[in-house]
Amino acid sequence: MTQHNNSDAVVIERTFAAPLEVVWQMWTVPEHFAAWYGPTGASVPMVKMDVRVGGTRMICMEVNTPNGPMQMWFTGEYREVVDCERLVYTESMCDEHGNVLAPADIGMPEGHPTTTEVRVELEPIGDGTRMLMRHEGIPSDSPGASGWVMAFDKLVTYLASHVA
Amino acid sequence: MAPTAIDEDRLSETFAALANGTRRAMLGRLAQGAATVNELAEPFELSLPAISKHLKVLERAGLIERGQQAQFRPCALNAEPLAEVASWAEQYRPVWEARFDRMDDYLTRLRTKGTARRTR
Repeated sequence: MTQHNNSDAVVIERTFAAPLEVVWQMWTVPEHFAAWYGPTGASVPMVKMDVRVGGTRMICMEVNTPNGPMQMWFTGEYREVVDCERLVYTESMCDEHGNVLAPADIGMPEGHPTTTEVRVELEPIGDGTRMLMRHEGIPSDSPGASGWVMAFDKLVTYLASHVA
Repeated sequence: MAPTAIDEDRLSETFAALANGTRRAMLGRLAQGAATVNELAEPFELSLPAISKHLKVLERAGLIERGQQAQFRPCALNAEPLAEVASWAEQYRPVWEARFDRMDDYLTRLRTKGTARRTR
C-alpha cells in the first residue's frame, strides 16, 4: 500500500461483511453503485461506467430542493483497473454533456480542486473485505484560472507550512 | 500546533468570518505577508469604515492579528483557526463515511434477499 504525505486527502479504511467480488461490484456495476453512492435523500438517476483503463465514467446525482430537483453531474476517467483489487478513477464536476466545470462556477468552496482522484484498494480478510479508499485533490494545472484561486493556493501553502 | 479538539463555537465563528468574499480575499492577501489597512483596502471599492468592519470580524474570529502601532496597526494572518476548515478533504470525509454506511446497509439487504430467495 502506498503511503502519501499529502494531508489533503480523505483516507477511509472499512471492512465489509461481504466477499471481495461483491464489494468490487459495488464500485463497478452501475446498479449497485447507484444504490449507495448518492447522498441521503438523493438519487443517482444516471451512471455510465466504462470500467477499463482510459474508460470514461459519468454520473448524475439528483437532489430535491424546494425549487424542484437539482442535478449535479460528475465525469472522470479510469486510471487503474485491477479486478477485485484496485480501482483508480478521476472525478470532476461537469454539465450534462460532460463538459468539465470549474468548482467556483457552481458554488463549490474556493480552493476545491477541479479534478480529484479516488483510489480504492480491496483485500480479503476472513469472510469479509477490507477496503482502503483515498480521495485526493489533484493540483490544478491552470494556475491562471482566477486571481482569487491563486491567492487561495498561496493561503493553503502558507497554512501547510505554518500549521503542522 | 494542531488544535487537539475542534472547538465548535470557534469553528462557527471561523466559518461565519469566511462566508464573505471580501474577507476571504483579505486573508488571501495576508497569506503573502502582513499589510496595513490601506494596503488591504486597495483592491476593493469599499470605504475605510467598511474595510475596518471586515477586519473586526476577522479579528474576532482570531483569523488576523493586529499590531499596536497607532493608526497603522498592520494586520497579519493567524492561520491556526483555519486549520480545521482549510482542507476540502475534511468537508468530504463525512460524505464518504455516510456513503460507506449505506454500502454496508445495502450489502446487508442484498444478503438477506439472497438468503430469503434460497430458503423459499
